[in-house]
Amino acid sequence: MIEVRGLTKTYRVPVRPPGLGGALRSLWSREHREVHAVADLSFTIRPGERVGFLGPTGAGKTTTLKMLSGLLYPSSGEVSVLGHVPQAREPAFLQQITLVMGQKQQLLWDLPAAESFELNRALYGVERAEFRRTLDELVAMLHAEPLLEKPVRNLSLGERMKCELIASLVHRPQVLFLDEPTIGLDVEMQVQVRQFVAELNRQTGATVLLTSHYMQDIAALTPRLLIIDQGRLRYDGSLDDLTRRVAPERRVVVQAVVPELEALGLVAHEGRMVATVPAAEANALLQRVLAVAPLVELGVEVPPLDEVIGRVFREGRA
Amino acid sequence: MSARVTGGVRPAVVVALVRASILTAFQYRASFVAEMVVGALSALGMAAPLFLVYARVPQVQGWTLDQALLVTGFFLLYNAFVAGVVEPNLGAVVDGVRTGALDYFLIRPVDAQLLVSFRRVAPAALWELVGGVVILAVALGRLPTPTWAQVGLAAGLFFAGLGATYGLWLAVTCLSFWFVRVDNLRFLLGAITDAGRWPVSVYGRALRLVLTTVIPVGLVSSYPAMALLGRIDAGLVVGAVAAAVGSLVFSRLVLVRALRNYSSASS
Repeated sequence: MIEVRGLTKTYRVPVRPPGLGGALRSLWSREHREVHAVADLSFTIRPGERVGFLGPTGAGKTTTLKMLSGLLYPSSGEVSVLGHVPQAREPAFLQQITLVMGQKQQLLWDLPAAESFELNRALYGVERAEFRRTLDELVAMLHAEPLLEKPVRNLSLGERMKCELIASLVHRPQVLFLDEPTIGLDVEMQVQVRQFVAELNRQTGATVLLTSHYMQDIAALTPRLLIIDQGRLRYDGSLDDLTRRVAPERRVVVQAVVPELEALGLVAHEGRMVATVPAAEANALLQRVLAVAPLVELGVEVPPLDEVIGRVFREGRA
Repeated sequence: MSARVTGGVRPAVVVALVRASILTAFQYRASFVAEMVVGALSALGMAAPLFLVYARVPQVQGWTLDQALLVTGFFLLYNAFVAGVVEPNLGAVVDGVRTGALDYFLIRPVDAQLLVSFRRVAPAALWELVGGVVILAVALGRLPTPTWAQVGLAAGLFFAGLGATYGLWLAVTCLSFWFVRVDNLRFLLGAITDAGRWPVSVYGRALRLVLTTVIPVGLVSSYPAMALLGRIDAGLVVGAVAAAVGSLVFSRLVLVRALRNYSSASS
């Protein structure tokens, strides 16, 4: 499906000394520096998978996505998507993929979104009847009916993203590359976009590769996680596994202060009692707490995702 | 990997692109009217200098006023193509390289050259088209009627000239993939091609060579006029066709190289 072997992208960027003098000098002789945006990346994605691509700013997520969709030429390495080499830009390949970029827009700014959908219909050569069907489905799923006749410039950011998604999907692609599709959206709209992508994946079986800065996107949408940092793959697996490996502790929390529990290692804090223990011992501790204080309300907490990912980047391990 | 720009070229795509640009032009009534007025004035202004010159001398380098008007007519048609199609599209390419907006062109299953060259049209250029046709009709009415063969040859040479100049514009635009900002280069090219409004024979030998080869705007205006007047020889025709083919092939190769070099813009 998607095969990536030793994928590398190196940019040559000009280095300019600061200030006016530096700017003048760089007109004559310009020094360049090599930036390894992506370095020796390898992974495989199966049909229908939903995969989250996570990493700090500048980690190489977007560059990788652009190489997978054929926009950028890799410096070295091999990529195969649906059996095609993306950078060959074969129509048969482009016909089956889509790329949604939260920070860019494809909609015709001065016209109602419906005109952009019609333009994309022609670009992808979709038959009118099928186009009508697809459009009706997408519009219903996104509750976008009232948006279609308004000029794009009069839409809010969230409304525009809904229309961007529809425009990107009129040709029923099998592979969806989503680059920060929820960026800048309010919480309510983020939830709607997430539900839409999940529903689309369930209904059509399309493969989804998504990058995001929002942990909630990843937690809610993508069972599998690829973490990259400085262009290198740091982790490939499920979120649960990651949490187990990086943050093997659990916090046992009792919603009351019971002095007898101090003997079990729980510490009182702001009206609650907390103990941090290895995950494997959490259950045993729960049993002992219940034996001492059967009526307390208690629970086990996993460290928040932000914290887990933060540890991966800080410690460079996973 | 040279297949980078390949893709379907379907007539429906061109229709859809033209439709969208006309809708956009109609969206803002005031701007549409203003553009139309400017287009009409520019079409009129194009012929004015000729009348000034010919008010003083009966002919220039063997060209009478009516004969020179043929050159102006073809130049207006060429200008309509540049202002209506070339400029708005290739100008957008330069912006697209700088901002990364080209991303959404390159993921379509359509030939990239088609998309970057004919993404939009500026309807105001219609006036120059009309102006060119009127001037040609007036001039032809006052000159001996050309044969059908001469008309066919003139049309062929005109389109060869369009191809040659379009190739040059495309190649210059592609430089932006390496140097990002090439606006000034395009303005310079625009200023030089303005020389095409006069018959090439009014220029000195060196400049004449430049205007028919390096910057082939002479091909698009003077040669078709010469064909209508029966003044062209086989050598010039072959040269014009060669220039068109060479320019189109060369610019396509430059575009292929340029897209390999496309670095998008980070987001």
